[in-house]
Formats: sequence, C-alpha cells, structure tokens
Amino acid sequence: MAKNSTPFLSYHEIQVDDVDIYEDAFGLYQEFGDVFKLLEQLKPVPKKRLTKRLIERVRQMN
Amino acid sequence: MKKSMSDYELIEEFVKGEQSCFEELIRRHKSKVFAYISLYIRDQALAEDLFQDTFLKVIQSVKSGKYYDNGKFISWVMRIAHNLIIDHFRRVKQLNTVSNDDYESDLFNSKKLAEANVEDHMIKRQIQKDIRKLISQLPEDQREVVILRHYSGLSFKEIADITDVSINTALGRMRYALINMRKMMEEKKISLTFN
Repeated sequence: MAKNSTPFLSYHEIQVDDVDIYEDAFGLYQEFGDVFKLLEQLKPVPKKRLTKRLIERVRQMN
Repeated sequence: MKKSMSDYELIEEFVKGEQSCFEELIRRHKSKVFAYISLYIRDQALAEDLFQDTFLKVIQSVKSGKYYDNGKFISWVMRIAHNLIIDHFRRVKQLNTVSNDDYESDLFNSKKLAEANVEDHMIKRQIQKDIRKLISQLPEDQREVVILRHYSGLSFKEIADITDVSINTALGRMRYALINMRKMMEEKKISLTFN
C-alpha cells in the first residue's frame, strides 16, 4: 500500500502564495487563460530614474 | 530585515524617523501604483508626476496621523492614486483642454529591449498597443477591476474595498471584462504573436 499510495500533503505544504481564493473558486484563470496570456504581454513598470527621483524627493521632505 | 517587516511596521518606524522604511514601502509597492496610474494616464510625464504625487501624499497623510492600519495599506495608497487621477480629469474637463485619448506616448518599459531585434520590438510594441486599446475600450467599472487585479495585483477583497462593491460584484465585473476582451480579440483578430 505504501508504495503506491499518494504522498500525504499537509495543509502547510499547499502552495497558496499569490492565489486569490475567490478568483480561484471562480475559475477565471482556467476559463480565460488566453486573455490572461495576452494581458501579461503588457508590463508597465516605473523606470529606475523615476523611483530614484521619488526617493530623493522623499528625503528632501524630511 | 526591512524586507520581512509588514507595511504597518515600516510605517511605524518611518513615523519614528527611520527614513529608509518609507523607501522600502516605495520599492515594495511602486509597480502596483505605477501600473494603475499609467493605464489610465497615457501621457508619460503626467503619469510619472501622479506616481510621485501619490507617494508624497501618502507621506503627508501618514505624518499627520491620517492613516490607521487595518491591514490595507496598499488599498489605501491605491485609493489616493485613484483620487489624484479623478482630480486630474476634473481639471482637464474644467480647462476644456485635450483629452487623455489625444496622447499617444509609449509608457512601457519592455524588458531587455536593447537585446531584442527591431522586428521583435515592433511586434511587441504593436501587441502592447493593442492590449492597451482593449483595456481602454472596456466599460469603466470593468476596466478598473482588470487594472487593479491584473496589473496592480490586488486581491478581490481589496478591490471590493476600493471600489465599494461586494466581492461577488468585483468578480462578476472581472468575468464580464474577460468575456468582452476575448470578444474584441476575436473581432480585431488580436492574438499572441510574440513570446
């Protein structure tokens, strides 16, 4: 029995990081994987110089 | 050390004078805030100004004791960003100047663009432009949920708090948004042609 049984997974071992339980329950990723894949092609991120400038302004405020 | 601290712990230390704690908050949340603003505001310079103004306003509010932690720091920051965007559009409307749609600047920093060849770069830019267009054509309530969930990474519970609707309504809006986007993708023959 031990050789063929499914390994026991404890509650704490279940990977739930970045999982929204409501979204998961709705099954949006399964149903709209093609749309999400397209949306992922767009990654707006702030430029390094912008973050740097912001941190400088924050330092000046204090 | 700071990376393991919660948002509230960082704020507490910042109020006590630990400057670098706010810098950690900026690093932690900058992408979420920037994505939200830049998908509403096409003018890059303006989006960058609003991005900075959001964090500066957060500091003012924290220092004047207007922030009470309930575990929703990022939701609160996003609400500040949202209000600044609304204020901007109100001002534009009052001044009767050019609309947001008239701006055509590119806002996106693609990863390792320098390494990509020109053709790949052009295809990628076109896809990004198409995606932007898809999002902009969604009804406002659906667009907001897509941006907050997909690009700012907020949970549906946080989105429900920000938009003052139930979690079910937020999920429903997301579903309609995805249905609409798929429909538009099919109509306009937009597909993923770049990886």
